[in-house]
Formats: sequence, structure tokens, C-alpha cells
Amino acid sequence: MTSQTEQKTRAPMIRVSNLYKIYCVGDTRVRALNGVSFEIYKGEFCAIVGTSGSGKSTLLNMLAGLEKPTRGEIVIAGKHIEKLSEKELVAFRREKVGFIFQSYNLLNTMNAVENVAMPLSFRGMAKKERIARAQKYLKLVGVGDQAKHMPNQMSGGQQQRVGIARALVVNPRIIFADEPTGNLDSKTTMEVMHLMQKIVREQQQTLVMVTHDNNLASYADRQIRIIDGKIVEIIENEPQDQAAQEE
Amino acid sequence: MRFRDLLTMSLNNLRRRKLRTVLTVLGVVIGTASIVVMVSLGIGLKELNMEQLSSWVSLTEVTVRQNYSMDGNGADEDSYITDEAIKKFSRLDHVVSVSPTLRLSAIVKQGPYICEYVNIQGVSQETLAQIPLAEGGHLPDPDSGQMELIFGSKVAMDFMNNKTKKGYWETGEIPELDMSQPFFVIFDQNAYYNSMYPSGDTSVKPPKKYMIPAAGVEEGGPEDYSRYCYSIYVNVEQLKDQLRKVFKKNPIPGQPTNKKGKPYSYFIYDNASVQVDDMDNVKEVQQAINEMGYQADSMIEGIENQQKQANMIQAVLGGIGAVSLFVAAIGIANTMMMSIYERTKEIGVMKVLGCDMGSIRNMFLVESGFIGLVGGLAGIGLSYGISYLINNIQGIGQTMSGMDGDISRIPVWLVGLAISFAIVVGMGAGFMPAMRAMQLSPLAAIRNE
Repeated sequence: MTSQTEQKTRAPMIRVSNLYKIYCVGDTRVRALNGVSFEIYKGEFCAIVGTSGSGKSTLLNMLAGLEKPTRGEIVIAGKHIEKLSEKELVAFRREKVGFIFQSYNLLNTMNAVENVAMPLSFRGMAKKERIARAQKYLKLVGVGDQAKHMPNQMSGGQQQRVGIARALVVNPRIIFADEPTGNLDSKTTMEVMHLMQKIVREQQQTLVMVTHDNNLASYADRQIRIIDGKIVEIIENEPQDQAAQEE
Repeated sequence: MRFRDLLTMSLNNLRRRKLRTVLTVLGVVIGTASIVVMVSLGIGLKELNMEQLSSWVSLTEVTVRQNYSMDGNGADEDSYITDEAIKKFSRLDHVVSVSPTLRLSAIVKQGPYICEYVNIQGVSQETLAQIPLAEGGHLPDPDSGQMELIFGSKVAMDFMNNKTKKGYWETGEIPELDMSQPFFVIFDQNAYYNSMYPSGDTSVKPPKKYMIPAAGVEEGGPEDYSRYCYSIYVNVEQLKDQLRKVFKKNPIPGQPTNKKGKPYSYFIYDNASVQVDDMDNVKEVQQAINEMGYQADSMIEGIENQQKQANMIQAVLGGIGAVSLFVAAIGIANTMMMSIYERTKEIGVMKVLGCDMGSIRNMFLVESGFIGLVGGLAGIGLSYGISYLINNIQGIGQTMSGMDGDISRIPVWLVGLAISFAIVVGMGAGFMPAMRAMQLSPLAAIRNE
């Protein structure tokens, strides 16, 4: 209970209130999200857990400004993103958001360090500067020696580490991860999860992860469980469960 | 996004699909080359025409004659072309030089050959200097007391053998005049005919013959036509001196007389040719001289018509060439569309990571523009090759134009224009695909396969 009140005093990074998303498929209306409200705080690792079709991915898309909500509010770092135009959303993602994909989505024409540096080039940063910064983050995620490798020369785990470095390099206010370990074997999954945990602790980053796996969700500080577009449960994980506690 | 980064990304994308890029570029190469070659043929035809025309007539010349008054009383005295008038013309804007022409006919003899009617034209020294001389000829010295003749290339054909009374037209042989020997010139034709064919019993004594050396013959054979070929040319000042010597106080044939039938104390020229600095100013000068009360003519109207026609031919040829560039443009659009379908995910990822929509559009425009640029450059290279072949394979140019000289000409402006046009076509063809890429939903990227 004490931790609950402690979190309340912190300013929320994300505030979602009364969020609806309704798709029209033919004549039937599908409620992908049916009145969702929650808050996520700065420096928190939060997992959104649900089965396939529960609306968790839709929620993530809307948080990242990739989809417009039908109704409701999303305030991220004090900004109402449901009101932004597409152009403003792009700028918002460029300045404030990092993204980790399930299928890594590295560009095959570029090597690891160039892939990591790419989001910085969207900000107009000079090549020398952004490559140096990308190197630093590759080292941080433990693939500093793979900088010159092309994506197809790396294992899935290595690729996802590059993907994480790419999300971190822009120094975002918030990182979204969509099933980040979905394509990885269990050993690599563990490694990647530990890496993400470590980063949230050390860099004071806010991380929102979508997953269907309860096991993975237990790595997070908090789990938001969604079924049929509604939040059914918010679980505060015990700090003892967390591997990062070891340090 | 910086332009350099944009360029690097675009070029990397083109490199990734080498064969497809090369094929698309090839389309542009052929399109550009066909436009350039076609237009170069049009330009070549036009310029050949102009070159041929200017060997016949001067394109920057205005010919001034005296005005004939409407009431039929012969020449208007005020419009006589005198030295005074020549000075007036030369003071006009854009006039480079004014050369009077004093024309008369005479009888010329050498050895067995005679020509009973030769046109002798007294012209300025500058005009004399423009006549291209065959080997061995020289320009007469204007300051010497002795007049010298320059023969037009076809003048010799008008001579006949005095004994057989047969000339070139009967025998087919051109009389061999000896240019190193002087000619005998009879200026007083009336006296000559009166002495040859006396009427009644009054016998007239034959007029005096003057021995005048030849300076040379105009270049060219019996088949070549030029504006100088039918006359003998001399320096006008020397001709005036000569005529004064021949006729003394008597009226000179061809020169007008005043109302009392007396000759004027000065020479009146047949016409004056006014040289203008540029073809574009010919019309203006012509009008100015007309307003001064003279009769001024030039080739400009005819040339303008011909140029209009030539421009139209050029436009038609260019249009034919443009069709293949249009086909190439469709090829570019097609390639770019394919590229977008292949890269949907990639474009989506870039958008999710915060790449500006404008940058994505520009990336595709740079790609298609680059295809245009490379195609344009290679197309110019190909055009030079084709142009070289057309100009150097015997007969092609001849059959197409019936004229000598390069028929395909590629001026620098055409090179610049063709390359920019290829780039514009490339970017134009890439525009629709680029807009589509820009509007792609970023959601496609994070959708899991």
C-alpha cells in the first residue's frame, strides 16, 4: 500500500482515460478497446498483458500515435496526443519515443551501427556525431563488437539488442516494446528481458511492453491485464521477483 | 533529414536492385537519346539551310535602291543614291558598313574570245575582299592608279570565240581565259555597235579599248552557284576614275540626267548594300531607310518564313523523340511503384521511428530523379555516338538533306536542356509513387508477419 501512495505522488508519464476504439467490420461494430483508464509513471517498466485479440496491440498503437482512438484521452508528458495531426505525431515519435519491434525491423541495407544511428539522422544530426553515439549504445546493449555487421549476419538475439540500442539512442522519454521477445528462444528471451530491466533501472527510462506471456510480464514492475478491451487487473510485482534486484 | 543522408539512402536503395535500376535507366537513355538525336537533326537541317542561303545571299544585308515615284516620271530625284546618301545610311544604328554598287555593261575581249555583254560592278573594297578567290588570285590594290578585274566564276562561260562565233553553250567547252594577261574593255557600247553595224552611210570610228589586268577569278566550278558568279567586280572608286577618263564630259551610259538632259556632276549608284550587325536588327534598319525615302529590301521576310518552317520540323522531330522518353517515364513510375510495395515495411518502420513524411517523399523523388540524371547523361553520350555515325557514314546526310555538312548537330544548350528534362521527367514519374509512399500507414510496419 505504501508503494501505491508513493507512485501516486509521482507525476504520471502517461495518462489514459476512458479510451475507446471501435472498428466497423461490415455492419458489426467491434470494440477493440472498451473504456480503458490507467497511468504509467516515469522510470517504470510496465507490461500490458493479454491474449491475442484482447486489444493490447491496439492500445500500444494508440499510445505510440499510430492509430487514432475513437474516444477518450491519451496524455503523454503533458501532451494530448489524440489531438495531434499525423505530422505532429511523427515529430512526437521522433523526439520522445523509442520503439522495439517483435521482428526487429532493422534495415537490411545498413549495418548495425548505421541502423542504430538512423533515427538520429531523422533529427538532422551530423553523421560523425550520430555514429559515435550509436557505437556507445551498441556497447551498452552488449553488441559493440558487431557494429559493422549487416542484420542478416547476426542472430535474432543480437538483432534485437541492436533494435533496443536503436530505441535508446534517441534518449526517448518513453520506450514502447511490442512482443520484443516473440521471435527469440527462451534463453535469449531471458537475456533480452534482463537487459531491458537493467536499462530501465540504470537509465531511468519508462518502458511499456506488450506481451501475451504471463511469465515475461512478471519481469515488469507492474502488469496491466486486458481481456476483451477492458482492464481486468493491475498487478504490482514484488520487487523480490525481479532479477535486477541482484545488483 | 539532411540532404546528404537522403541521398545516401536513396542511392543505397538503387544499388540494392542493380538490374532493375539499370533497366529503368536504359529506358531513359533511349528516350533522351531519341529526343536529342531528333532535335539535333532538326537543328542540323535548319543550320545547313541557313548556311546554304548565306552562301547565295547575305542574310544581314539590306539593299537600297532609289525610289520610283508613283506618277511614272521615273526616279525620284531625292532618292538618288549618292555618296551623301551612303554617308547617311552609315550613320544609322546597327549599320556596320555601306557599300555602293555602280553597275554598267561593257564589252570584254581577250585573244580570240569576246563577250559583248558583261556586267561590271563597282563595289567597295570591303565587298571585293569578301569574294572568295580561286588559287593564284589577289585582291586589287585600291590605291594604285590601275583598276583590276575580279571575274565571277561563271563569267568565262559567257565568252565566245570571235571567229567561229561559238561559245560554251554551243561547244560545251569553257573558253580558257588567261588571267595573267590583261583584258581589253570597251566601255562605250553604243559607239561599238554603231561602228560594227553602221546605219546608213555614217561610219563611226570604233571606240577606244582599254587594257585592264585581271586580279583573279572567284572560286568555284561551272556547277556552283554564288551571288558573285555572273559579274566582273572592280573597286568602285577606281571604276569612277576610269569612267571619267573614258567619257570625259559626255554623259555616261546608265547614269541619269537632269531635266535638261545634262549629266550630274556626281555619280549616282545603282544601289547600296547596307550591312547590319545582326540578323535581328535587319528589319529595323530596313524600315529606317524606307522612312528616309528610299526603297530598301532584304531577305529577312523569306528567311523568317523558312525559319518558322524549320522550327516546326524541329518540333515535330522532337515530339517523335519525346514519345520514347514518355514510355521511359512510365517505366520509372512502374519501377518506383514496385519499389514501394517491396519497401512498405521499411517505410513504415522509418515513419514509426520519426522520419518526416516529407523526407520519405523526397527520398523517392531523389531516387527517380537520379534515374533520370544518369539516364540523361548516358543518353547524351549515346546521342553523340549516333550523331557521329550519322555525320560520318557516307550518304546518310546527303540523302536526308541533299546538302553537304554535318546534318546532326548537338549544341551545348541542347545537352543542358536534355539532362534537365530527363531529371524533371524522372522526378515527375516518381511523384505519384512518392506521394503514395508518404501516405503509407506506419501500422503496416509493426504488424507481425
